[in-house]
Amino acid sequence: MSFRAKDLRVHYPGADRPALDDVTMEVPEGSLYAVLGPNGSGKSTLMRGLMGLIPPASGSASLEGKPISSWDRRTLARTVGAVPQNETIAFPLKVRELVAMGRYPHLGPLSPERATDREAVERALERCDAAKLGDRDIGTLSGGEIQRVRIARALAQEPRVLALDEPTASLDVRHEMAILELLKRSVAQGITVLLITHHLDLAGRFANRLLLLADGHVAAEGSPSEVLRADTLSDVYGWPVAVRPDPITGSPRVTPLDGPPPQAPLS
Amino acid sequence: MAALEGRHPTTAILLAVALLVGCGRNEPPEPDRLEPGATTVEVQDAEGRVVAFVSPPERIVSLVPSATHTLIELGVSDHLVGRTEYDTTAALAGLHSVGGGLHPTLEILVALEPDLVVRFAGQTDLETPARLDDLGVAHLAVAPESVADTKGMILDLGRIVGRQGRATALVETIDSVLADIRLRVASLEPVRVAWVVGGDPPWVSGPGTYIDDLLSVAGGQNVFGDLGRLWAATSLEALFARHPDLVLTAEGSGLDPRISPRIPVRRVSPIVSLPGPDLPRAATEIAEALRPGLFEGP
Amino acid sequence: MKRPLLAGSLLAALPLAVLLAVRFGPEPMTTGEVIQGLAGRGSETTVYIIRELRLPRALLSIIVGGGLALAGATFQALLRNPLAEPYILGISGGAAAGAVAVISLGLATASTWLLPFAAFGGALVAIFLAFRVAAAADRRLDVRVLLLAGVVVGAFFTAVLAFLLAISEATEVQDAVWWMMGDLSGATWRKVVLAAVYTLPAAGVLLGLSRALNVMAIGEETALYLGVHAERVKRLAFGVGSFVTAAGVAVAGVIGFVGLIVPHAIRILVGSDHRWLLPLSFLGGAVFLTLADLAAQLVLAPSVIPVGVVTAFVGVPIFLVLLRRSLTG
Repeated sequence: MSFRAKDLRVHYPGADRPALDDVTMEVPEGSLYAVLGPNGSGKSTLMRGLMGLIPPASGSASLEGKPISSWDRRTLARTVGAVPQNETIAFPLKVRELVAMGRYPHLGPLSPERATDREAVERALERCDAAKLGDRDIGTLSGGEIQRVRIARALAQEPRVLALDEPTASLDVRHEMAILELLKRSVAQGITVLLITHHLDLAGRFANRLLLLADGHVAAEGSPSEVLRADTLSDVYGWPVAVRPDPITGSPRVTPLDGPPPQAPLS
Repeated sequence: MAALEGRHPTTAILLAVALLVGCGRNEPPEPDRLEPGATTVEVQDAEGRVVAFVSPPERIVSLVPSATHTLIELGVSDHLVGRTEYDTTAALAGLHSVGGGLHPTLEILVALEPDLVVRFAGQTDLETPARLDDLGVAHLAVAPESVADTKGMILDLGRIVGRQGRATALVETIDSVLADIRLRVASLEPVRVAWVVGGDPPWVSGPGTYIDDLLSVAGGQNVFGDLGRLWAATSLEALFARHPDLVLTAEGSGLDPRISPRIPVRRVSPIVSLPGPDLPRAATEIAEALRPGLFEGP
Repeated sequence: MKRPLLAGSLLAALPLAVLLAVRFGPEPMTTGEVIQGLAGRGSETTVYIIRELRLPRALLSIIVGGGLALAGATFQALLRNPLAEPYILGISGGAAAGAVAVISLGLATASTWLLPFAAFGGALVAIFLAFRVAAAADRRLDVRVLLLAGVVVGAFFTAVLAFLLAISEATEVQDAVWWMMGDLSGATWRKVVLAAVYTLPAAGVLLGLSRALNVMAIGEETALYLGVHAERVKRLAFGVGSFVTAAGVAVAGVIGFVGLIVPHAIRILVGSDHRWLLPLSFLGGAVFLTLADLAAQLVLAPSVIPVGVVTAFVGVPIFLVLLRRSLTG
């Protein structure tokens, strides 16, 4: 078993309701597990909670059976390659330097990089189709290229698990598909993937299991066909949708319908 | 490096350790040793230190313009070996400048190899006396704030350079001129006056400065006589509220233009700004400015 | 520019700068006199000037300049902000208020060490207050909150300072203003050793945090995911960086621009890897301040201009040239 949450409740200070309210979920090892939900439903908070960044108000989070709070930070970093939604790269940096930071959990504060570290970086860049970008400055890259580079950094950590918060948010179809196929290949090679995304169709197509969050609660968990149901989705997203199997891939395909008529003004 | 061998690093490291535990100490300088039979001149300076001279100093640097002027008047300008940026008189033109009177450039001061440095009393510049102590160079702190201070400075400097006679003469002139002015104004109504140095906000003289002394000698009443300090910045409001009959200032000082439409302003020559042997002239100018025509007639 | 090339150049420039600062000064001397003075021979005056005035001053410039640049680079990484500089936690205001308080109370004559200690103490009070204000708002020491707290604390101390100056005598005001502009003329061997004792171990600690700072410069969440104990690193790096800055201010007043410009210049030349950026910033700051101080003494000799003026006048154009180079190259 990979990540696991049991009755996890996370409450940000000053908020009127908890960001996560008694969430119970489980990421099977070797699966591609997608977390879905509307904006503000707690997806990013879940990842932070699972990674031990925020102490829970109640409940527990664990990884591979051990409570996340008992994991040493560096060991955790060698096990999970996590990429948050946002990063500010305030200073000029070369792509290879950014990816090389993925090797830090394997190195002491002053120990120099070894040949194995450099090879791991190159492999990671290759797998993300970013090898040509190695010497470029981060500031000159497009949004999609930066995303690939950040995923390469996570791969350079040589983790057993990948946790990615909306890695394809600003990517075009080619790059988004390339990333998802990379993730699928990683899973085939034995890596567990936790993927936060808002792209319902692709989640349904590539994920083994889905988690649907709504207002910090679990709205549904299970296989794509179990979670991607018209009634559940319409309710959670507040918009009428229809779900049909995709004619080419066979996976569930979500189609938003015309919205409800605007409310008549009170006379 | 040869320079780092020797006592500096060891002593310095020990001192640093001591400092980490406690405070450093200022070591008082040792006075010159007394030769049997010689007449040593001992002077207590404005900081209360006793400075002793076995013989008159021959290489003097004065960082205080009024003391410099005094030394020139005492006739020892030959013994002045340096000047400050502010000493522009012809007598000193050929001398090396050490920069400002406060925080002089130490290197140049030290290179002049003075045997007496006259400096401003107070804590404004602590580096200079500390360095002079290191080198065993005598230094004298002066603070010519009031007329009495200034007379004391003239006499002390006179004793040090061996010109007591001249110094006494200068002081006697000051006394007699001031006495004369007092006499002339004895029966007259005091004039309410403020001495304004200029600036924005304006700086004025309070009680205890030599200007204040000269104003009262000349039959003036300093409207800022209750100021808690010697000199202070004040507001136009305070100036106007005290209803002075007159505002006095030195020529060339930048007065706020809103003053002259409301209060008569008279200017005196800049020598008034230098307390020293020119006090008689300064006193006369001030008295004249307070009551024009005072010195005419029989 | 290749990193070893810059490192080699700065390592060579450092002793050269010291030699220049010893050879030249406000008082003209021949090379022979300088050499004699170094060896302890020649007139007592010459020896004093070389060994007690010029040499400690040059060494103090190195330590203070290096420390300021190092602190600046560290704060820029922690705050993820290119405008960060060593005084950003209100340190300059606190130190100035401490120093001027001593001057106003008439205590500076009690001991020549009271003033630097008061400046140091004032700086530490400012740092402490900035951390407290930030922690009260957000326990997790959000760097944006810390930045704001530093600005507020700095403004408070500036007001304290203005009050003290308003009630001071004219000469005290002049002295305070002079001190605040930065001045290395008070350099003695004791101050050099003291500054070294405070600065060099701290520099060692910061250098050890190089990798952590690399990652902190990307983001704290990322840092945590990469195994960095972000809170610990933040507190340690801020604390040590502030300490170094406070020590520099205590012995040399508030010297600006070194901590802001030198790290940027080094970054433009060799990039943001702190394993190179930190040591090269130290060297760069050391060389820069030493040469700037020499210029400050010579340009209008015998008058001295505040070294902070030179660091600004010289530093800014050099920086602009490098900036253009980086944008077009």
